[in-house]
Amino acid sequence: MDVVGGRPVIRGYVRPDGSVGVRNHIVVIPVDDLSNTAALGIAKLIRGVVAIPHPYGRLQFGKDLDLLFHILSGTGANPNVYGAIVIGIEENWANRVADGIVKTGKPVYAFAIEGNGDLRTIEIAARKAKELVQEASEAQRTEIDLTNIMFSIKCGESDTTSGLASNPATGYVVDKLVDLGNTVMFGETSELTGAEDVVAGRIGDEKLREKFWNIYHEYVGFIEDQGVNLLGSQPTEGNIKGGLTTIEEKGLGNIQKLGTKPITCVVDYLDPVPRGAGLCFVNTSSAAAEAVTLFVAKGSVLHLFTTGQGNVVGHPLIPVVKITANPKTATSMSEHIDVDVSDLLELKVGLAEAGERIFNYALRVMNGRLTSTEVLQHDEFSPIKLYISS
Amino acid sequence: MARVAVHDRRDSVGVAIEDIRTGDEVEAVYIIDKFVIGRIKALGDIPLGHKIALKDIGAGEKIIKYGRPIGVATRDIKAGEHVHTHNLKSIRWGALERR
Repeated sequence: MDVVGGRPVIRGYVRPDGSVGVRNHIVVIPVDDLSNTAALGIAKLIRGVVAIPHPYGRLQFGKDLDLLFHILSGTGANPNVYGAIVIGIEENWANRVADGIVKTGKPVYAFAIEGNGDLRTIEIAARKAKELVQEASEAQRTEIDLTNIMFSIKCGESDTTSGLASNPATGYVVDKLVDLGNTVMFGETSELTGAEDVVAGRIGDEKLREKFWNIYHEYVGFIEDQGVNLLGSQPTEGNIKGGLTTIEEKGLGNIQKLGTKPITCVVDYLDPVPRGAGLCFVNTSSAAAEAVTLFVAKGSVLHLFTTGQGNVVGHPLIPVVKITANPKTATSMSEHIDVDVSDLLELKVGLAEAGERIFNYALRVMNGRLTSTEVLQHDEFSPIKLYISS
Repeated sequence: MARVAVHDRRDSVGVAIEDIRTGDEVEAVYIIDKFVIGRIKALGDIPLGHKIALKDIGAGEKIIKYGRPIGVATRDIKAGEHVHTHNLKSIRWGALERR
């Protein structure tokens, strides 16, 4: 580990707005489902371009539409992105997404398919993408203190090994990152159930605590109001196979990864996460790809993901570091696992040793080492949709 | 000897950190300081990650893990028994089932 003046140093990309990325992507963002074909066409022609197809963007309205724009613009604005191309069926919405990115000072170009057709759009946009890729290839990593950088955490296909070992070890890393002045986002609103009062108790600011309770009650109230049998869904089949029995047990295991620092930031779907926010609760679905997608839209450049039974989620633009303490999963799904802390579960090493192992691995990833998700092309981009379209 | 890990001294269940077979004598270990809380005989197979009752638990009694209730026993559970969906259910979302 490189340390200057007692502080870890990484080699990252400083963006025009001062934010720090650990990857250097050119992204092609389709505004809507109809534009996926053109976006993928550009990515096929130009090496080094990442297209992020998704099924939404037509006839959404209100808060649901605002959230889609927030996610699309936020993803382009993420510090791991050097520059972006936006493709929409219509010009106005494509420009609206691009406007949300251009604020960061990075290059952004928007194109509309209507009146041009896919082929002409692909050609014009691919020419721009080629220029951007060549420009981006000259961007250099520079030495940066590991501070004021944005991260995120989530667990998935959890089992009791998560609560016992991989989550507490990740919590150790979270404490360390927060102490160094970084921001760490967590969410999974519904999966805090059984431990929601513990989370609330760690929010010092009264207004923020009240905001957290409102978000929690609204989310869980919605689920409960459906009046459906959640067994089989929460905990999931994988959770139950791994020994988790109830949502409370899952929630209590979940919060072990939050470390011990005060929660200093509470944000709802549409709120930005300010740099320097510290440990930050973000209202998210508990579905892995949806949560990671939202964290990235809010600026996370690296995600720590703990799993018990073996969740394989990744993201097209950020490294997702996969951590497990389940020795069976570490063996049977080894290609997906970046850090194995099963020796912590087996009581062979202490929390600090396992935590340092994750921290040091994360540093290598920040400096450029590719994660299993990146190499295996786990490119899940899953915007949260709040309700039906008009 | 096989071991089960215990989060909190108030807990009524421990977690198998390896596969345990019926009749195995297991040691319950507190994870923070590796203090051995006691020994217990497994009354059933307990796969890695699954829970074992550390004491007798009566039907309707709360089951404690992390020092907090994780649900309620749906029938009497003997020390050493496997604890899972067949004898433990949520206090929170389990209630929805009864609607």
